[in-house]
Amino acid sequence: MTEAGARREGRAQQLAARLPPLLVAAERVAATVAGGVHGRRRAGPGESFWQYRPTQPGDPLSAVDWRQSARSDRLFARETEWSAAQTVWLWRDPSPSMEWRSSRELPTKRDRAELLALALGALLLRGGERVALLSGALGPTAGGGALARLAVAMDGEPVPSGPLPPALGLPRHAEAVMLSDLLAPLRDVDAAVRALAATGAVGHLVQVLDPAEESLPFQGRIRFAGLEGEGETVVRRTEDLRSAYAARLAAHRDGLAAIARSVGWTFAVHHTDQPPQAALLALHGRLATPRPGGGGGRC
Amino acid sequence: MLSLGPLAFAAPWALGAITFLPALWWLLKVTPPGPRTVRFPAVRLLFGLEAREDAAARTPWWVLALRLALALAVILAVAHPLVHPRPLAGAGGPLAVAVDDGWASARDWDARKAFLDDLLARAERAGRPVLLITTAPPADGTPLAGSGLVPATRARALAQALEPKPWAVDRAAAAELVAALPRERAMEAVWLADGLDGGDGEAFARALQSLGGGLEIVGGRPARVMLPPDPASPADRLLVSVRRLGSLDDPERLAVRALDGAGKVLGREEATMAPGQDTAAVALRLPTELRNRLERLDIEGERAAASTVLLDDRWQRRPVGLAGGGDPAAAPLLGQLYYVDKALAPHAELHRGTVTELLERPLAVLVLADVPAVTGATDDRLEAWVRNGGVLVRFAGPALAQAAGAAPGGAPDPLLPVRPRAGGRNLGGAMSWTSPQGLAPFPDTSPFAGLPVPDDVTVATQVLAEPTIELNERTWARLADGTPLVTGARLGEGWTVLVHTTANADWSSLAMSGLFPDLLRRLVALADGIAAPGTGDGPLAPVELLDGLGRLTAPSGAATALSDPAHAVPGPRTPPGLYGEGARRLAFNLGSRVGAPGGLGVPSGAVASRLGERTREIDLRPALLAAAAALAVADLLASLALRGLMSRRGAAAAVMALAVMGGTGKARAAEADVFAMDAALSTRLAYVRTGDPAVDADSRAGLAALSRVLAERSTAVLAEPMAVDVETDPVLFFPLLYWPVTPAQKPPSAGAAEKLNDYMRRGGLIVFDAADAEAALPAMTAGLAMPPLAPVDEDHVLTRSFYLLKDLPGRYAADAVWVAAGVAGGGNDGVSPVVVGAADWAGAWAADERGRPLHAVVPGGERQREMAYRFGVNLIMYALTGNYKSDQVHLPAIMERLGR
Repeated sequence: MTEAGARREGRAQQLAARLPPLLVAAERVAATVAGGVHGRRRAGPGESFWQYRPTQPGDPLSAVDWRQSARSDRLFARETEWSAAQTVWLWRDPSPSMEWRSSRELPTKRDRAELLALALGALLLRGGERVALLSGALGPTAGGGALARLAVAMDGEPVPSGPLPPALGLPRHAEAVMLSDLLAPLRDVDAAVRALAATGAVGHLVQVLDPAEESLPFQGRIRFAGLEGEGETVVRRTEDLRSAYAARLAAHRDGLAAIARSVGWTFAVHHTDQPPQAALLALHGRLATPRPGGGGGRC
Repeated sequence: MLSLGPLAFAAPWALGAITFLPALWWLLKVTPPGPRTVRFPAVRLLFGLEAREDAAARTPWWVLALRLALALAVILAVAHPLVHPRPLAGAGGPLAVAVDDGWASARDWDARKAFLDDLLARAERAGRPVLLITTAPPADGTPLAGSGLVPATRARALAQALEPKPWAVDRAAAAELVAALPRERAMEAVWLADGLDGGDGEAFARALQSLGGGLEIVGGRPARVMLPPDPASPADRLLVSVRRLGSLDDPERLAVRALDGAGKVLGREEATMAPGQDTAAVALRLPTELRNRLERLDIEGERAAASTVLLDDRWQRRPVGLAGGGDPAAAPLLGQLYYVDKALAPHAELHRGTVTELLERPLAVLVLADVPAVTGATDDRLEAWVRNGGVLVRFAGPALAQAAGAAPGGAPDPLLPVRPRAGGRNLGGAMSWTSPQGLAPFPDTSPFAGLPVPDDVTVATQVLAEPTIELNERTWARLADGTPLVTGARLGEGWTVLVHTTANADWSSLAMSGLFPDLLRRLVALADGIAAPGTGDGPLAPVELLDGLGRLTAPSGAATALSDPAHAVPGPRTPPGLYGEGARRLAFNLGSRVGAPGGLGVPSGAVASRLGERTREIDLRPALLAAAAALAVADLLASLALRGLMSRRGAAAAVMALAVMGGTGKARAAEADVFAMDAALSTRLAYVRTGDPAVDADSRAGLAALSRVLAERSTAVLAEPMAVDVETDPVLFFPLLYWPVTPAQKPPSAGAAEKLNDYMRRGGLIVFDAADAEAALPAMTAGLAMPPLAPVDEDHVLTRSFYLLKDLPGRYAADAVWVAAGVAGGGNDGVSPVVVGAADWAGAWAADERGRPLHAVVPGGERQREMAYRFGVNLIMYALTGNYKSDQVHLPAIMERLGR
């Protein structure tokens, strides 16, 4: 791992240290269940004691706890707590447009997205969950060195052709967190989201933007050039364009939110001049609580 | 050359380029600077937002102005503008420049050099070759040689290296040189002359005229010559005369300086030369001790060999030989020469020995104390020495009296001014009815004239002189009864002097009086030094030589030994300076050998002018080029800024730097003035700004409330308190400085600590309140000169100065308050310079504008707050009035006594 990568991992650890371990609300448990280390606060397969309950017809004799049953006239079955781990698929946009910042004081969007992804990964790993990379660079992994592996694999991620990575190797009903500036045309975003949602995946879209992209703080005659070969345009008085630009950006964002809503995903916006804790906390909350109507009734 | 009044252009064709400026303006106007490029991820959202065509962009007007000014500056610089141009008369052809670089040019050499440089610069511009001729013989002894026709640039370099020579010019040789020049082309001639004519001036001028291009003679200021003072001038002053060779219309002030060997000015005297006069006499009054150290006289502010006089032994040391009879092993106070030695030691160089030994060395004065007539060869040598200018001073004594008695009828001793009578005369002895005689006033003809006659000098025994015709005129001092005490006579060039009593206290008290040193000094001053230094055998080697600017340098060039100082003429072989080593050191001065050259006439057909008559030419090209360079840099910066290539911070820093250079100094000074006025015009309290807004607000509110309370309860009315930054603001205006110590505060810097120490030393009072940070207090006061501290006891003035207080609470009923220990009797009216506590007094005093307290007091109660106010009132009274209430301490005892 590069030195910068190590530093980033360290910062991610630091950031994650301020939040409780993240236990992903298990939703599509059946699809992604794997033996895990943390309890689900309910009876199920696992090792630690959960509760005694009166035996019911059909319970195997081996389930009866004889010591407890001996204390009274009834038979009690011993139940253990259900331990299971959820896999969360992470992705941050590696495209050149993310490698940008408007001033030296701010991190680039990519730095911030990577930091958030790693911090989230650290939280998940601490909670005993498993993490994987949506691009397929890293399969579900857990345990001590998992965060380092995650950081290394994230460095080598390929740039997808579309705004979001293709759903290759993604199991059904997976849960994914995608961090990107999402500035691609809405049509492309819509197509990519629908392709992912078709696998039954639940996604959390986070749009990471630089404050300058929000406010267009430039003045005077400027030639704007894209970072991904979109072309360039000369603007005579940039300050005159500010309101029109803001309207366009708002429309774009509304479109993104609508796309997310239509497939039952969540959508949030994060600016690089805001503290990363806020975004992390919001993600934490959204991952930890079961979504209504998400088919998580069994949880 | 194109002339417009005082302005001219050396290359006027370049001005034609100005016609292209409008074209340049149009070009700049239609090609605006390129837009800055910004890479922007969300560029897609900007596409199509601005449909209008981008054509109307304009170059900002100030960029236009900047670039046009730049172009104009370059064009003007190429055109080479000159202010007050001095075109050369002859349009072309070579230029002959003759320069007098003899001693007479040294006085205004800088002006001459500047003129020469200016002249050659003009020749350089005109592309004329130059022939440079110097008229003084070169220092290396070679004959005069011109430079030959060289480019003006080369001639300019040669002229830069010219220095005046400390000898006269040789115009005859120069005229020959000019006459030998080839005459293919007419040459214009310019002669920078020194204004003196040693005889060949006209011939030289005619030779220059014969070159065929006309002659301009440029003169400078007339030279001044300082003549060496007469070595025989009176003992107490040096008479120097300064002669000006040439007349001036304005009176000239000059100051003659006398310097010692180390260049220290020992004497300075001013004189004025009136317009008509051409000499000035200056008398330098110097004590003999200082005069003996003199090595050089010169005119202040003038660097020239002719106005510098070097002094040698003739003006300085007077070697005095002492030889005495009697017992050499006698006790010092009885020795024959003890008093002579003491009297002369500070003023002369003394040598002891026998007469024979002493005559081996150069002597100015020989003192013989009671030595009878010497015989034989020594006698002849002694007489020869006196005839050669020596001063022989003889004291009488038993031996002399006896010798006189032994040969009553013999030939008179030529080494005595008078013929002594046999035996001495005893006055006031045990067997005598007469009493010892005092002194009569000195005759006017005597060298002692003017010396005060003390009453307490008595002469008990003397040698009498045979009465002769000359006795009266030879008598320089007499006793009250008219008998001679000192007689003197001329012998050849020298003097013989007889003192008719002893040199010790045997015969008189003269030797013990204050008159004795004065008498001896006058006698020594009779001698004109060692007879004619340099007259010894062989030539004198040069030791240090004067250069043309009056500086002493090591001998170099063609300087050789000086064999005949009396008739030598200063020249390359014998420049003025110091010759000979040790006792034969001789100062060879230019001033005494200059003679009286006449003024230089201007031959018909020549143009005469003076230096400095015309204003100097000013070349504007360098200034214009500098301006163009500055504009180019400004344009570069502006272009970078317009394209966004210069960071905003860099630009801000540059602008700030310029602004700081411009105005902030003044602004800061004005600010300091306002602060001082505010602080000084009314009495007010002050608190130290801590940087913690809450603490500062409390301090301000507390002191304001305390000032109000004080005004209600006493006649002291204080103005609003002020905040003070100990690092920058002066504190000396305030009677009391309240300093809340916070942990975040930085200790005062060394400068601030010095200021505070000064404040405390001069009666200021600093109240340290360490309520929140007792731990920070030692660090805060580390740099301050804190006195030893002691807790306030119940008798301290602080508890009595207005209210009688038992404890001194603030917001906290804290423990002890500390003041300087034992200052009751000290300076500052016994006021402690510091009060240290931890009670947060300002917190207790602090009240809002309606008078409601801001903070609760701990443990509490309005009584504690009232006590805090009372302490505050006491504190201010203590600061304002000092210890005048300290007698309150004794009040019980006084009351008790009254009651009784």
